[in-house]
Amino acid sequence: MGRVPLWMALPALLSLLVIAGYPTVVGIALAFTRSSLARPLRAFVGFDNFVAAAESVAFGGSLLRSAVFAVLGTALSVGAGVAAAVALDARGGRFGLLGTVLLLPMVTPPVSVGVAWKLLLAPVGGAFTGLRDALGIAGFNPLGSGFGAFTTLLLIHAWQWTPLVTLLVYAALLGVPAELREAAALDGAGWSRTLFSVVGPQVAPSVLAAAILELVIAFKVFDLVVVVTSGGPGVSTTVAGFEVFRTAFRGSFEVGTAAAETLLLGLVVGVVLAVAGLLTRRVRGAEQ
Amino acid sequence: MTSFGVRGLLSRGVLAVAAVLAVLPVLFLVSLSLRGVDDISNGGWLPSRLRWDNWPAAFQTVPLARMLTNSWVIAIGATLLTAVIAVPTAYLTARGGRSGARLYSVLLAAYCAPPVVAVLPLYFLLKNVGLTNSVLGLALVDGLANVPVAVWLLDGFVRRVPRELEEAAWVDGLSVAAGVRRVVLPLVYPGLVAAGLVCFFLAYNEFLFAVSFSQSPSSQTLTVGLSLFQGDRTVQFGQQAAASLVAIVPVYLLAVAAQRALIGGLSQGAVK
Repeated sequence: MGRVPLWMALPALLSLLVIAGYPTVVGIALAFTRSSLARPLRAFVGFDNFVAAAESVAFGGSLLRSAVFAVLGTALSVGAGVAAAVALDARGGRFGLLGTVLLLPMVTPPVSVGVAWKLLLAPVGGAFTGLRDALGIAGFNPLGSGFGAFTTLLLIHAWQWTPLVTLLVYAALLGVPAELREAAALDGAGWSRTLFSVVGPQVAPSVLAAAILELVIAFKVFDLVVVVTSGGPGVSTTVAGFEVFRTAFRGSFEVGTAAAETLLLGLVVGVVLAVAGLLTRRVRGAEQ
Repeated sequence: MTSFGVRGLLSRGVLAVAAVLAVLPVLFLVSLSLRGVDDISNGGWLPSRLRWDNWPAAFQTVPLARMLTNSWVIAIGATLLTAVIAVPTAYLTARGGRSGARLYSVLLAAYCAPPVVAVLPLYFLLKNVGLTNSVLGLALVDGLANVPVAVWLLDGFVRRVPRELEEAAWVDGLSVAAGVRRVVLPLVYPGLVAAGLVCFFLAYNEFLFAVSFSQSPSSQTLTVGLSLFQGDRTVQFGQQAAASLVAIVPVYLLAVAAQRALIGGLSQGAVK
């Protein structure tokens, strides 16, 4: 008695089949065949699709761009999120209305986020035109250069996903036993000393878990790119997810190439997450 | 000044800046949506004269009402599907011993892959069963895709249900499944509400699947509609802002109304 009945696994297995198993098998099949959106899997073509993906100017750099975006986006949102969580904790009291306001970016539809920031930063009609004229930098447009556009996208992404870190780390801070802080205070440790030497190690696992989650989310960035930059200027903000979509559904409809590209993207994401997981385990191991 | 004062001032400063940053872009949308074309071109933060005509105009430029309905129907349908699957699954991951733990890691791994990886295969699947350009098709895909998130959040709640309660139910002759329904489910209810809200937001905000699987106006979602407002012309700024707010307002109302359930569920479920 008390054993979990096997049928309970069925809904989960069915979901996994549809969202993971089937897409993996068909994705691999598509990557090695010639296909169109109307007629998939027409003829086996060996590695042709991978060659096409490697030769594509837009896709070539997009894998690195995705990885850089994910790592920097994670660093930004974790840094800002931890700072906000520590500030909330230091303020004391309830999470309350202020907490809810801080969380709002997280529930905003990313497409709306993109529209809002794009309009905010617009060279004509934007919010900073007055400031820009006052400073005398007439031609300044953050989305005008490749570096500017990439940086802007990163900041917008961090704006949206910092709240998740704030929430997770704040919850972990609440879980730190009060006796620990009191003991540290009795031993003469000041606030910052207590924070770094006593509280920090206690919440480190939650910060790391939030960082991995942020890494996963940042690799998925798509909506923002479509709305804010469409991958430009040039290919400077063309991340891999966006390029795969464009290859498959916009313009060229190169289904086979797009499938090969998704396999390569999956590989890169897998490697980065594996390294992150390994680092996390090492940090956790060192603490114990 | 005492160290407490400095710390208090610093943390309040950080929080004030964060709160302003969090609402600024959306407040700017509100300002834009109430301004005429000339007023927008002049730049600045506040309208010189309030005008409402962007709102009805936005509803005419794209079929916003239809898209809003589609988004809600898809999000609600997807959330129900996710919940029905996630409850037994979370019970299994929390109480199923080693195979439960294995299922949990497979689900998390599935969540880690960027969804664009599944887009092409799912497109062909939906096309074969006649569910492209369909509200039902999008609800099914979104609902299944969010199962890992819901299980991740619910798992911690199920773990905190005392085993003794379930055992007492079994002694009284209930099956395991009946125990889940009558004993576990009422106790994990706060977690289910939080997971449901999160999955609703994810499905409502979803863009990649919506834009890939549904080109027809009859099944287009609000996020796709917003992305159609492209172009750098100032003329459309006001309408674009109004349409974006149409998408934002319902989720903000829901998030504020359910803030306790949402925050409690997210922070308790995720921190283990």
